[in-house]
Amino acid sequence: MDFLHHIVGFDADSPLLFTQFYFWAFFALVFALFALIMSGKKADNHSRLHLRNIYLLFVSWFFYYKTSGLFLLILAFVTLSDWLIAGRIKSAITHHKPQIAKIFLALSVVIDLGLLAYFKYAYFFTNMINDLFGTGFQVFDIFAYIGNGFAEAGRFSVDTIILPVGISFYIFQVISYTADVYRERIQPVKNILDFGFYVSFFPQLVAGPIVRAEEFIPQLYKPFRLSRRVFGIAVFWILNGLAKKIIMSDYLAVNLIDRVFDNPLLFSGFENLFALFAYSLQVYADFSGYTDIAIGVAMLLGFYLPMNFNSPYKSQSPQEFWRRWHMSLGRWLKTYLYIPLGGNRRIGFGTYFWLSLIAVVSAALTGWWLWILVPFAVFMIGIAIWNRTADHQSSRSKLIYANLNSFITQVLGGLWHGASWNFIIWGGINGIGMIIEKIWRGMNWHVRFAAMTLLTAGLCCADYWTNLPVWRLFAVWVAILWVGTAIRYIYWLITQDKTITNRQLQITNTIAKIWAIAQTFTFITFTRLFFRSSSNLDPATANEVAWATAKNMVNQIGGAWNNAIIPDFLWEYRWVVAMFVAGMVIHWIPTNWKRRYRIWFTKMPLWLMVIAVCVAIVVIYQFVSAEMQPFIYFQF
Amino acid sequence: MKPRQVLLFIACVMLSLGALCLVLPGCVSWGEKTLRWPTLAEVFDIEPSDVSIQYSDSLYNIDSLESLEIQDTIPTLAAEQTQPVIPQVHVDSTTDGRGFLQAFYTALTQAGERQVRVLHYGDSQIEEDRMTQQIREQLQKRYGGHGVGLMPLAQTIPTNTVKQQLYMSNRFVTPTQGPRRYLVYGPKRDQRADGLYGPMGQVAIMSDSLVSGSEEIKVICTPQNNNLRYTRWQIFADSSVHYTISGDTVCLNGRGAVYGLSQESETGVIVDNIPMRGCLGLVFTKMDSNQLRTFYRQENVRLIIMQYGGNAIPSNQNPGTIQAIVKGLREQVQYVHACAPEASILFIGPSDMIRQVDGEWQTYPMVPYMDKLLRKMAMEEQIAYFSLYNWMGGAGSMKQWRENGLAGDDGVHFYRSGARKAGNAVVNWLLEPIENAD
Repeated sequence: MDFLHHIVGFDADSPLLFTQFYFWAFFALVFALFALIMSGKKADNHSRLHLRNIYLLFVSWFFYYKTSGLFLLILAFVTLSDWLIAGRIKSAITHHKPQIAKIFLALSVVIDLGLLAYFKYAYFFTNMINDLFGTGFQVFDIFAYIGNGFAEAGRFSVDTIILPVGISFYIFQVISYTADVYRERIQPVKNILDFGFYVSFFPQLVAGPIVRAEEFIPQLYKPFRLSRRVFGIAVFWILNGLAKKIIMSDYLAVNLIDRVFDNPLLFSGFENLFALFAYSLQVYADFSGYTDIAIGVAMLLGFYLPMNFNSPYKSQSPQEFWRRWHMSLGRWLKTYLYIPLGGNRRIGFGTYFWLSLIAVVSAALTGWWLWILVPFAVFMIGIAIWNRTADHQSSRSKLIYANLNSFITQVLGGLWHGASWNFIIWGGINGIGMIIEKIWRGMNWHVRFAAMTLLTAGLCCADYWTNLPVWRLFAVWVAILWVGTAIRYIYWLITQDKTITNRQLQITNTIAKIWAIAQTFTFITFTRLFFRSSSNLDPATANEVAWATAKNMVNQIGGAWNNAIIPDFLWEYRWVVAMFVAGMVIHWIPTNWKRRYRIWFTKMPLWLMVIAVCVAIVVIYQFVSAEMQPFIYFQF
Repeated sequence: MKPRQVLLFIACVMLSLGALCLVLPGCVSWGEKTLRWPTLAEVFDIEPSDVSIQYSDSLYNIDSLESLEIQDTIPTLAAEQTQPVIPQVHVDSTTDGRGFLQAFYTALTQAGERQVRVLHYGDSQIEEDRMTQQIREQLQKRYGGHGVGLMPLAQTIPTNTVKQQLYMSNRFVTPTQGPRRYLVYGPKRDQRADGLYGPMGQVAIMSDSLVSGSEEIKVICTPQNNNLRYTRWQIFADSSVHYTISGDTVCLNGRGAVYGLSQESETGVIVDNIPMRGCLGLVFTKMDSNQLRTFYRQENVRLIIMQYGGNAIPSNQNPGTIQAIVKGLREQVQYVHACAPEASILFIGPSDMIRQVDGEWQTYPMVPYMDKLLRKMAMEEQIAYFSLYNWMGGAGSMKQWRENGLAGDDGVHFYRSGARKAGNAVVNWLLEPIENAD
């Protein structure tokens, strides 16, 4: 009985993870029954497809139960509520009652975001209110309280609110469904079980990609098709994801990154900087590895999930980065937040509301009421006055609208990643980075060079006068950027009146591209200082620790640099360094090359593919079981 | 492809890997290379994955302890064994030597009239004033006393208790840009031959850092909460170093060594935090005994806490190395005891420490062994011993601590919350005999 309970029961310590044997055994069994359902001549008829959908729905619910226990009820609730509401929306539209449709859409959004806010942001809001008003509120889990009414008293703790796994993902999916029905981009799903399958499809349930209704629902009614090449690609994505997750992410994390982020002060500036760059790779490898596996597994079942990462560290600008990083979230935010806010066409109530809220909260938290609110009020009044008379179609207007709305999108996108201030700061820095980049692109080279020179001089002065690590860090970074700007400016001055050969153009473009990639990668890496938050701490402490970690890392990088220990570090951590370098090299391999070796893999005879898969798994296992890098402390 | 063909493919992969488990159970080694692969039992989680430990009575002889305290890396002696053969240690785990703390307990009764000093030496586990902070808080709450005690002139590792700002010739500098430091636990280039490191094991030399002796070092040390307000400063420096004090600010000039600054009170308990990153604790014998003796006597040091051992764990699977290190620590205890004959000594062993083995977090096999050896050594040297490892809950407890947000992801260091818990436990344990007697 214990064995059976272990297999089918919920154990918070043993969730179903793609990197564990148990998941693959589960998948093999699921696929065996799936193959049975989809076999025979009638495999493509409607009732068989319906059976397949129901089967995969129950499999997905079992998967979620194994991962999150009774939170399955929340998943079932949003499935039911949004299915019912979407039906009412469609009915209102059909009867030409747009206001009623809008009310139902709002109801759906309130319910969904309300649940998300309750489970994900309850601590965040409680802490914020306590900080602002000096109150001592504690969270109270109303669902646990209700649950205790049904079960024996005290079974569920009412003092803590546990975040259901994947809630951020499936809530966004159901919102996309009701919004798409409202906008008449899709028809509501008639059968609730089919809709439940869309919401709960297990490969992408806990970590995305976020699948919009219009992308996925039509697939529910299409027959199973899996070409030989697509099968090969699916296998490739799974192996690729496992390798990324276990080799690039977990190995680097356990052997260096976790240690440095846990205690930045134990390590020198160089070690901190290296760990920060390695963390950039780890975050990418971890997240994209998981979604690669999800995409591969879904593909084997005949479903296509959208691409989620497109070599983001090849981006040449922050804006491009956000087109390549967590693409399904980016598309969601663009469709359901940025464009409704006005996109690059207008600013409206939403824009003013969110900007004001961000300003008030920033002022309240920093205590700099006057310094933030007065300039902000002046800015907003200026924008409002300008907006009344502006030509909304001019490129300048579009730039301003786009900047304001994308800044809000970035900040709220940051908050989606985690309920703490560091994620909001992270989103804000990304938003500012994108705005600066857009403004930069609009400048001519004389202005660019002058602006960069002034900024560099200013930061060098700040460094000299204050001698604070944070200014040193900025000064060094901007000085490097200034060198790049100066070279490009001189090149532009020399060549503007001359004819350039194609060859010369190609070379200069390549150099400029490499420079832009390095610049963007560095910028994104430094935003990661605010991206890490310990999930095993209570939210208030997690905030404090995240802030202290960022501060200590900046202090070490800017103030405790010690060149003498760099060779020692590189030697002692040679395997970690080698893994990082290998990861970045693989990441930066040209897309065409990658396509070539993927195609080569898919064309492999099946027997050879079996061997290749086994060899790959044996290699990956070596990293799971590798001896840990011993602790090495360098005095600095 | 048809689903059954995909199923066949999955079955082939799984059967091949399963077959590999049968023909390649555990690992295969050739030369120094090892190819690891789980057994079927491990895959299905049928048997516990605890490291099996064999016992033997053999002892390893390590002739030279000199090489053990190395500064930049953690020592590994001889070839590591894949399967540790750990000798049995016969020690009564209930004995903790608190009876040997009588001198300290007696001194505490006089804390209302004069200063009683406690020095807390340790490795990175006590950096940032972790653990010491709670020991200080609790002792000062019960027996009086103010201030954080000793701190170096340039605090390279900030603490939770004092914020330090350093200025040289009125220009703000980071601690690493500050005066030249020599560390008894540092690399060779940072050591000095005369052994004059002062009680903290580190010294700042003003003449090495300033171009001319007329330049000034200003250090502002601001306590981070009101409970840490102090009533006096003490500056431990050569007589050639001159200083003036104004509030939280100390201005120093001249040439010579500065061994430490101290914020304290005339009476009550003063607890000094003296962390030595990466240190095994085998460095005391490198410190000048006369200097130590003078300090311990003049400052009425009545308890010396030594918290070491953790740095020996990650790189050693060899019981012989552990034995040698404990032997070395015994010598350090004897040396410190000789320098501070009136002080009691408390040794705190390593915490539970975990590492990843085949994807599972497990306790390093040498942690319990070292803990037992240290306890045995402590009882033989007539000093008290607090087993952090046992108190945490023994093997695997660090995993729980990590999951509960008490320790970091590295499986070694406590978070502040964990350090608070551990520090409070040490004080409660320490004072239990006299508080029960009261």
